[in-house]
Amino acid sequence: MRITDTIARAARSLRQAKGRTILTSLAIAVGALTLTITMAAGNGIRAYTDRLVANNFDPSESIVGRDKEIANTGAPDGSPKEYDDSVTSLSFGGSGGSVQIKQVTDADILEIEKLPYVESVRPNYQISPRYVTREGSKKYTLSLEAYNPGQKPELVAGTLPAKDLAGDDVVLPEGYVSLLGFRDAKDALGKTVTVTIQQPYSQEALQEFVMKSLAGAVSEGQPIQNTEDITLTISAVSKKGAASLSSAGLSLYVGSAKAKDMYDYTTKGTSQYGKYSYVSIRVKDGADVTVANRAKDDLQSRGYYVVTSQDIQKTIRQFVDILQILVAVFGVITVIASIFGIVNTMYISVLERTREIGLMKALGMRGRHVGWLFRIEAAWIGLLGGAIGSGLALLIGTLINPWLTKTLNLGSGNSILIFDAWQIIGLITALILVAIAAGWFPARKAARLDPIDALRTE
Amino acid sequence: MIDVVEVGKVYGKKDQAFTALADVSFTVPDGASVAIIGKSGSGKSTLMHIMSGLDHPTKGAIVVDSEDISALKRKALDRFRAEKIGFIFQAFFVQANESCYHNVSLPLEIARIGGNKRRTRIQAALKQVELADKIDQKAKNLSGGQKQRLAIARAIVNMPKIIFADEPTGNLDSATGEKIEKLLFDFNRKLGSTLVIVTHDDDLAAKCDMQIHMKDGRITQITKKKVVAS
Repeated sequence: MRITDTIARAARSLRQAKGRTILTSLAIAVGALTLTITMAAGNGIRAYTDRLVANNFDPSESIVGRDKEIANTGAPDGSPKEYDDSVTSLSFGGSGGSVQIKQVTDADILEIEKLPYVESVRPNYQISPRYVTREGSKKYTLSLEAYNPGQKPELVAGTLPAKDLAGDDVVLPEGYVSLLGFRDAKDALGKTVTVTIQQPYSQEALQEFVMKSLAGAVSEGQPIQNTEDITLTISAVSKKGAASLSSAGLSLYVGSAKAKDMYDYTTKGTSQYGKYSYVSIRVKDGADVTVANRAKDDLQSRGYYVVTSQDIQKTIRQFVDILQILVAVFGVITVIASIFGIVNTMYISVLERTREIGLMKALGMRGRHVGWLFRIEAAWIGLLGGAIGSGLALLIGTLINPWLTKTLNLGSGNSILIFDAWQIIGLITALILVAIAAGWFPARKAARLDPIDALRTE
Repeated sequence: MIDVVEVGKVYGKKDQAFTALADVSFTVPDGASVAIIGKSGSGKSTLMHIMSGLDHPTKGAIVVDSEDISALKRKALDRFRAEKIGFIFQAFFVQANESCYHNVSLPLEIARIGGNKRRTRIQAALKQVELADKIDQKAKNLSGGQKQRLAIARAIVNMPKIIFADEPTGNLDSATGEKIEKLLFDFNRKLGSTLVIVTHDDDLAAKCDMQIHMKDGRITQITKKKVVAS
């Protein structure tokens, strides 16, 4: 018997038992639906995180630190460590936690800069300015970072230089535009804002304050602190984009020379002066994973700890993968449950058609072919279930994708559910194979029926 | 020519052994019509099963065209039935949910005959049993006589050498039964295929060239019409 004839016969006999066939298929369809949505969500989230990483991390950049914590992507290690002059306490905003970090010094930076594969080094200037303001406007809090050409923010107005921001240029987040009294983002371009930074309390100032307090000269207030107003010219206005990590759309960016001046000013006389919790380096041709990893190995042999962009991407991906596997397990369980449905349906089908099987065997049909007739019937059920499930998933995806994009504020063009035709074809193929496996024993029973006994069955 | 040589069939073993056939021997010339007559339990159905290659004898040989089919392996036996044998059953055994076309198509599908050849043969077979107009009807919508005609079409579509008919008129009223008998004998003469009818109906048996009477697994008598030249 030809395979095409077998497939056609199997399809016709399924059509005779429509209700049973559809109900059995629906069980698989539920599994197929879950798995299709899971795969689509995995694709979508992965594409989204890839964009996130691509927008926020230059592939040829690595983070280099002196402390193991830098390379530790999990929770900070809380065990006591030996004291070292270069260790500084770093506190995390809000949570109140702090961690001791061995810092990178200016001497380290000089060493790193000399390495042949290092293109450039950008220290991480942690600047805490007091406020940003403008004539005739209130004072507002802010965060300020050195501009990173590898991590360009999306813009509302203005342009960004290819390398570094010049002298007094600043990139202002969209949110400050109206607060600082500009008509719109375009209006702000070329205008100036003032950022006020402060020096740490000097020993003298503190002493003076204490003495004065003791003498009753001051009853309230704080010791005098040196501050400096820095005037910056707005060269661009950044947008709070969906593909930015949280702070990216909220920070003001200044050129690295400016950032260094500000950092030095705000850390003068403290243990932080001339030290950085980490530096970002740009590796020559570092977009190539092997090059980046070779640089990483070399730096680590010199006592540094390194996190490459790929390491960060890997960590995020791992997280997405684990989530996806968890959901997929539910789909797989559903499919397993549906297997029993297929086995049952196929046994009933064999029982109902005992005489037909007897006839076919009497007419000289091979037992093997009789078996395949039933296996293909099971395969049809798998195909139908897979098609119904995936079809429903596609429908649901098309209906809720715009809503999800809007609700999760992903920005237009981004979808959480991305369907891949090959994945769906692969899934349906797998379900067909599962169905064939489920129909194996009923089919074998059919194949082994004795034609004489089968024909005698009432 | 079918040579049945000292065929015996025993079911069960030792104490429970039951002899269904003992020492059955006869020869059926090509193109003849043979009736195997006997009451139920006489062994006539077992004999038919063995002669048609559905069952293996415990001893003896069935030689069809100088080939002993009792010695054939299952695969070769399946092929033998697919190519040389047509079956007609008392209970019709048509596939109720399939159309007439697909019922008749089954033996051709098994014999891997496809395309135009298949379609022409099916149409011709249905035309010969006067069911050409029912080609797309489901078998379950046919009357008893029509169902048996459909079964005949299925039996002849493959142009078999031998047609076995097991009580072909047993489920039919006498008028319809006669039509079926006429059809069977017509094909026996026209196509030259050997016809073996298993029946307990003496009138039907009398219309055959040769009658084999069975009782308790043994042949009691073999009668032949004078016209048969052997």
